[in-house]
Amino acid sequence: MNKVREIEYLRRYRRWKYVVVVLSAVLGVGTILSLNVGFAQIPISHIVGILAGEVPILGNVHSSSGFPESERLIITQIRLPRIFAAILVGISLAASGAVFQGIFRNPMADPYVLGVSSGAALGAALAIVLRVGFTFFGIDTVPIMAFIGAAVATFTVYNIARVGARTPVVTLLLSGIAVSIFLSALVSMLQVVAGWELHKLVFWLMGGFSYAKWRDVWAILPLVCVGITLTYLFARDLNILALGEEEAQHLGVDVEKSKKILIVLGSLLTAAAVSISGLIGFVGLIVPHLTRILVGPDHRILIPSSLLTGAIFLVSCDALARVVFLPSELPVGIVTALSGGPFFIYLLRKRKGSYSL
Amino acid sequence: MVSLEIDGVSCRYGSTQVLDDLTFSAKEGEFIGILGPNGSGKTTLLRTISRTLKPHVGVVLLDGRDVYEMATREVAKRVAVVPQDSVVAFNFTALDVVLMGRNPHLSMFQLESSRDLLIAREAMELTGTWHLADRPIAEVSGGERQRIIIARALAQKPKMLLLDEPTLHLDVNSQIEVLDLLASLCNDKRLLIMAVFHDFNWSARYCHKIIMLHNRKIVSFGEPEEVLTRENISKVFGVEAFVKHHPITDSLYVIPLLGQMTGEAKKENFRIHLICGGGSGTSLMTKLVRARWSATAGVLNILDTDHETAQMLCVPIVSEAPFSPITTEANEENLKLIQKADAVIVTEFLIGRGNLKNLQAARVALESNIPTILVDNIPIEQRDFTDGEAQRLFKELVAKGGIIVKTHSEAIRTIERLRNPPFT
Repeated sequence: MNKVREIEYLRRYRRWKYVVVVLSAVLGVGTILSLNVGFAQIPISHIVGILAGEVPILGNVHSSSGFPESERLIITQIRLPRIFAAILVGISLAASGAVFQGIFRNPMADPYVLGVSSGAALGAALAIVLRVGFTFFGIDTVPIMAFIGAAVATFTVYNIARVGARTPVVTLLLSGIAVSIFLSALVSMLQVVAGWELHKLVFWLMGGFSYAKWRDVWAILPLVCVGITLTYLFARDLNILALGEEEAQHLGVDVEKSKKILIVLGSLLTAAAVSISGLIGFVGLIVPHLTRILVGPDHRILIPSSLLTGAIFLVSCDALARVVFLPSELPVGIVTALSGGPFFIYLLRKRKGSYSL
Repeated sequence: MVSLEIDGVSCRYGSTQVLDDLTFSAKEGEFIGILGPNGSGKTTLLRTISRTLKPHVGVVLLDGRDVYEMATREVAKRVAVVPQDSVVAFNFTALDVVLMGRNPHLSMFQLESSRDLLIAREAMELTGTWHLADRPIAEVSGGERQRIIIARALAQKPKMLLLDEPTLHLDVNSQIEVLDLLASLCNDKRLLIMAVFHDFNWSARYCHKIIMLHNRKIVSFGEPEEVLTRENISKVFGVEAFVKHHPITDSLYVIPLLGQMTGEAKKENFRIHLICGGGSGTSLMTKLVRARWSATAGVLNILDTDHETAQMLCVPIVSEAPFSPITTEANEENLKLIQKADAVIVTEFLIGRGNLKNLQAARVALESNIPTILVDNIPIEQRDFTDGEAQRLFKELVAKGGIIVKTHSEAIRTIERLRNPPFT
């Protein structure tokens, strides 16, 4: 009886692999379906053919030359980079959401909790309103300024909260809120003086992938890969941090070091996401909760499944955003909130008894 | 093998001194209790030892090495801590939490193996929590959670275990289970255990040594008999307590009986002599001492309950040998005390040939115009084992002006009136 229970417990490692495989498969299928969505009607068979033609080795055997050039361009130059951007942003926001909820032991924490969002917004707003016109390795000014803004805001919040060698969680949250409010006020002020740039600024603030290009994807891909990998190394530390900082330290976790690294990683991931997509709310807050309901609180499975779920969620929301008001587009942030909110409430009600934060 | 040396340790929270020059040492197989009133530094001492609060002066040496020079993980392999109250975020199961105790032994990429699971299971079986393994930790009771956290500490396979009030949330049977477990870990596995206690008796019974803290300093460190003295308890806790060796548990037991003294200053100028016996004077004597009256009593046989009470309360008495009739000498002594008294209270004790002299002493008191109160809540007929002689004597006392009262409280009210007569 007890033996059975132990084997059952260890078997969860194998179950974790299934979860990752299944979610990856869903993401793959979702990506292809999403390529089918848009103003131009392109059949799935064409999509698969065009994609196969783009893969180096397969491309020699199976040429995509049989499909119209316009279809090939729409798929490879418009929809594909956009979907990849959505995937990367979904991954980053969901992973950093899981990280921040873990560090802060607080279900209200999200990727924007340390003022990342308002810092990025201010950076982007400055770039848009002042029409700063330089490029950096081929990347536009707005994402770079957004990234710098996010990094500066996080650094400021962290240093305000620091007491000696420690950064207590409560002071971090509070200084995050204070800095956010201050920076948001500056952004509002810029909106007042924005003039002709107001429309672009508001659209950026609402977030979306309408202008996503391959170069955006390539710009953040290394950041996201490194960020996610390093974050995963701290998965067990995040579990133990759930016991509280002092107890985590008693269990051999170097709390201040882990916390500092995780805050840097979470902010980096968020800044990367924000720089190419603007402010997309809700994903980083809801996806980790949703995943926790599905796979449990262990960060070793929570982080990989969260980032996959985040990618699936954002790819689906972006597809919806493209089609609900054809031919015009909704900002994806509106879709994430409108669709994710009710679904999450449904899950929460249904699992009310067994889900504790 | 493990050794702990605390040398000249002082700690501060900000600018507030919280520990002041502590020095002591301990080694494997010792169970050390930490006692002290709130704010005396008990928890701080544990935090200092567990590498959480670095002392600004002094060192904490674990096996000869400064713990603040050691890596967190190295300390965690040797020292486990059970805090007063654990709040776990997210719905981890009990087994998840206990397995976290294996963390210091696992490398970064290592998953828990079946061996780790076995260790966790043994720890949970020792604390009687294995049946809770699959339950979310947020859903178990406070006592269950406490035992799960102890299991987690054991899963660390530590050499030293630090506990902050390990019995806080437990009911009495679980308290004994947990303390017995700690005692066996100490004796069989040779762990060094340090625990903060609030209960004198548990610490007296289970600890080999006790550290008593007061105002951030060690007041006393040693075996329970040396530390748990009436003087120490009174000095540190401001409480009068009885300290006795208990024959059944074969350890000290402490009864903080009186609590804080009530009443204003000691009523030195008004003395009450109690004539009692067989336990009839115990509660009255306690009330009087507690209200700071100066009281005397006699004649009491050694081994009589009232005799024991008087001794514990430090009430001056005239003693007689056990089960012996009152001798003339003892009676003379008693009469001397009566002459010094401002009032006499005669309780409802049983009267036989042996202690008839006590009733006669009350007659002397009345004849000397000392106000004498007779507690008459049990009729004299039922207390008389002298074939009517006691009854005759009692009537005589009433006739000579003895004040009849029905209860002990009434007796105390009467003496209060006698001391401060109301204006008429």
